[in-house]
Amino acid sequence: MKVSKNELLAALKKAFEGLGFQPGDCQDAADMVVWLQTHGFDGFGRLQGALAYLNTTAPIHADLVQEDAHHAVLDGRGSSILLCGSEAVDLIRSLVVEGSWAALELTDCYNRTFILQRLIKAAQRNLGFIAYWRQQDYCVKVSIAAGAQLPEYQTFTMTGEFDAQSLRIFSGADIDVIEHQFAQQLEFGEFLETFSGEEMMDCYRDSVEQGIEIDETLWRTLDVLVARILVESTESSRAGAGD
Amino acid sequence: MHRNLPITGQQAGSNSALPLRPASQVMQLERLGSFHQSRLSFMRTLVRHMMAENWQITSPVFDLDEQGYGTVVYQVEAKYGTFSYVLFSHYLDPENRNDRVIANQWDLTMALCEGAVDTAQIEFLRNNVPKQEAGRVDSRVLVLSRANRSARTFEYVVNELTLGRQPDVDVIAEVGYLYRTTAAYGSGKLGMADWEKVRTKHRDFARPFAAEMFTCYMLRHFSMQQADYLASKRSPEGAVSLHEDIKRYVGIGNSTGLGMAPFLINHPLLINQWIEMRETALARVVAASESGVDEATLNRLDVATQRVIQHLGEIITADERQNSSNMLVREELQLMHLWLQEQGAELANNHYVWADLIQYAEQSWRIETQEVINTLLIELYPELVDDLEEQMDVDESQQVTPEMSVAQLIEVIEEKYDWALAIDFSQYESMGSFWYRSQEKMEPRLGQTNIDMGMEKEMPLAIGRLVRECYDRLCGYNQIRPQQNVAHFIVHNPMYSGIVARIQTMAQSQYGEIRENLVHSDVLPIHLLRCKLSFFGVSKFDPRSRLWVRNTMFQGAPLISDFGKPFADDWQFPIKPVLTSG
Repeated sequence: MKVSKNELLAALKKAFEGLGFQPGDCQDAADMVVWLQTHGFDGFGRLQGALAYLNTTAPIHADLVQEDAHHAVLDGRGSSILLCGSEAVDLIRSLVVEGSWAALELTDCYNRTFILQRLIKAAQRNLGFIAYWRQQDYCVKVSIAAGAQLPEYQTFTMTGEFDAQSLRIFSGADIDVIEHQFAQQLEFGEFLETFSGEEMMDCYRDSVEQGIEIDETLWRTLDVLVARILVESTESSRAGAGD
Repeated sequence: MHRNLPITGQQAGSNSALPLRPASQVMQLERLGSFHQSRLSFMRTLVRHMMAENWQITSPVFDLDEQGYGTVVYQVEAKYGTFSYVLFSHYLDPENRNDRVIANQWDLTMALCEGAVDTAQIEFLRNNVPKQEAGRVDSRVLVLSRANRSARTFEYVVNELTLGRQPDVDVIAEVGYLYRTTAAYGSGKLGMADWEKVRTKHRDFARPFAAEMFTCYMLRHFSMQQADYLASKRSPEGAVSLHEDIKRYVGIGNSTGLGMAPFLINHPLLINQWIEMRETALARVVAASESGVDEATLNRLDVATQRVIQHLGEIITADERQNSSNMLVREELQLMHLWLQEQGAELANNHYVWADLIQYAEQSWRIETQEVINTLLIELYPELVDDLEEQMDVDESQQVTPEMSVAQLIEVIEEKYDWALAIDFSQYESMGSFWYRSQEKMEPRLGQTNIDMGMEKEMPLAIGRLVRECYDRLCGYNQIRPQQNVAHFIVHNPMYSGIVARIQTMAQSQYGEIRENLVHSDVLPIHLLRCKLSFFGVSKFDPRSRLWVRNTMFQGAPLISDFGKPFADDWQFPIKPVLTSG
């Protein structure tokens, strides 16, 4: 079946509310899923992976464990980027504004591809970002110039030691400067593939024009989560609607 | 009325520097609930475009049986594109006729689609549109809607036409319509085209709610065409068509309930934009009176004032509060009429006479009268106002400003949300209500605290209370960790990220936050509904309780047969027609 972007956003916000997310988290998480799905990053597949975890535990956010003028480390405590991605990006943004550049590590977190949407949104405030993480047996690197609407998304073979569940983000006004400044940390293995901006935009345009294909099982799963926030209807409650 | 009052605003020459009314005045719930339609209302804008661009509307399919049931397709050639309005007319047992959102059968169901529709698409629509929320459509559909007949007028009008007579205008005036719509869904619901698609692909409907309003306009057209059709079927020789002046006076009924209320809370940037444009229009009008006002303009104001007096006198409502308000507003407008009559010649040379008038009204008359006057003043200067219709949309994303210090955020709240901090939430009444979604079609409802079920599932619409809670937490945090910024506050208090984003975003705009405790025991949600409906452009508010309101849409508007003809754009505040021949 196909759904519209707006319909999907509304359903996701309510579904995340059904999972116990706070209002701000519901909006951010829904935005992340929709952005990935409409730009060709399998948002639904990643959401299904996240739901397996989110459905079994109360929402967990990251803890700030270390910080100086340019660096911060957050402990994701096994949580999802859907929950702790926003606070990580907000924190590095604040460090950059105050210190012109910053590096942040978020450890022990899952569903890291969702961070793309948060970084794109933050880039609209004239900040550039480079982020990388290990995905199974390869490494993902994303680069987003200040003001850019799309990321440069590349994968590389692994070299050296990579924490399996960490995410590293570097930020400053100019990503070329950032790339140079953190060159040692941004050394990866052999280039594998990229996902071009044209491919992302084709996917996005198709989503807007034709709607977004969603598996009916996933749609029903969202319905079940949404039902958690609905209140049983009674004669008395109908009076609360004007009857 | 005293006319020599000091001028309130120090009017600047450029529009960008115009003084707008403060949010502390405009965003009071009672004032929002006193708004009337204006030139910037979406129906007004739509009609202007249809008239000026001479939209061509034909009906390639008009397949109704003797009872008026069947399928109709109207093809619409607008300025930039082709659209199809597909309508299904069904038999409905009168016992099942229900205007509430929880209904599942209607007299009419309709879809506005992009492009021309073929047989296969009509069949697809036939299988889904009559089901409304229980069906699914696709991204070729822009709007889905439904309507019910008026038990009081439809059969009466058809019978009169069948007998070769025009219906009594007083009967039409009492109701105002033949059908009333109970929902017009757009913005991607049920698989329809996203607003983003409509906005970027279909310029004819690239303004908020333009497609939804057009759907209601076409319903009005069908309602009268169906009445004519049924009369001609019942009496091919003797029937007459509805008189064109009566047709212009027939609108579409609308029932609006709580479902509309959360929209205003959940779209603060959009509401800010709508109100800012309206306030900008008013400010431009005030500035235009810098060097006085010519006699013709004063006369037009006087004529319009008398029209509103008549319009309000013709509204029939069982709501005592609204009745009383209509009567008092008429009395106050009568005073304004006398003032214009007696002192018009002198006023022509007064500097900023509109500022004087607005100030006098604020000091002497009720809020609803003040807002009628504002609407009338805006009406006088289309050349200063109408360009604002293209600025009614806005990017609605909210974002945290993480580098802001906690101390600064506290100051922002104290400055911008002083109204929220002034509410005493320790009083039971201050939290006497809560908003929730019912299992029945997710309908928003208002519950009573500690009486109704569902408080643990409360919708986060109590912005004042959320701000208060955030403020208290910020103050406590700032004492323990002075010098820290908002990013740190959110890391330690992630549950506040949403309200912080809202506060920081809205602090950069003037309007948008409704300055009322929306969970007070005595809250009047009907004011929220009326505010939004005024931007739609409806008239004849008829409150049925504090939770829902009936009104009419497009009453007085031109007909499709008027498209392309000279147009005065003065159909607001409709009054009973005096029939001429024809």
